[in-house]
Amino acid sequence: MDCVNIIAKDDALVLMGDGVYAALADTDASKALQDTDAKLYVMAADALAAGVKNLAVAVSCIDMDGLVALTETFPRQQAWY
Amino acid sequence: MIYSLLVLSSPFSGHCSRSAAQFAHCVIARGHTIHRIFFLDAGTLASAASSVSAQDEDTSLRSWSELAGQHGVDLAICITSALKHGMLDQVEADRHERPCATINPLFTVSGLGQLVDACASSDRLITFGG
Repeated sequence: MDCVNIIAKDDALVLMGDGVYAALADTDASKALQDTDAKLYVMAADALAAGVKNLAVAVSCIDMDGLVALTETFPRQQAWY
Repeated sequence: MIYSLLVLSSPFSGHCSRSAAQFAHCVIARGHTIHRIFFLDAGTLASAASSVSAQDEDTSLRSWSELAGQHGVDLAICITSALKHGMLDQVEADRHERPCATINPLFTVSGLGQLVDACASSDRLITFGG
């Protein structure tokens, strides 16, 4: 969750792997992410694998094609793991 | 656009390594090119030539092989990480007096300079961690 200290409202954040749990609605994690005003995404396949269904309203589901599309738009990527 | 990927996680733990392979195929499908995929730390285990998975388990090695064989993608593994994880090509096996090579020949043992080159030569560097 260190990313909330760095991320800005013009950024996009993609939750993948175990990170998808931060997309759960009504959790401290998802509230902290929503407070950044950044665009929030979750990898649909990873959320499905983790059983994460109750997503925060600000989080959009994307597939791998959507992830590539985001990298076309944003020139730099920062990974947290 | 030209992409390069940095893969840090083991193919045997989690699914980041597999996601990286899927991402690479998707990049090509969208009309971009991939300059290099650099494997560091436990990511170097993706090159394991003798790994055997259960029949009902998908493996990322086939996916990496397709990228190298069909699309000419350079699959480079960090030599320091590779040696620590027992991933040796024939040159390194001979140098360190080990009985045999352990990496798939589609992968190239190289140094961090190749990662720097990938950054300089690509429009995008995408990291897949643990």
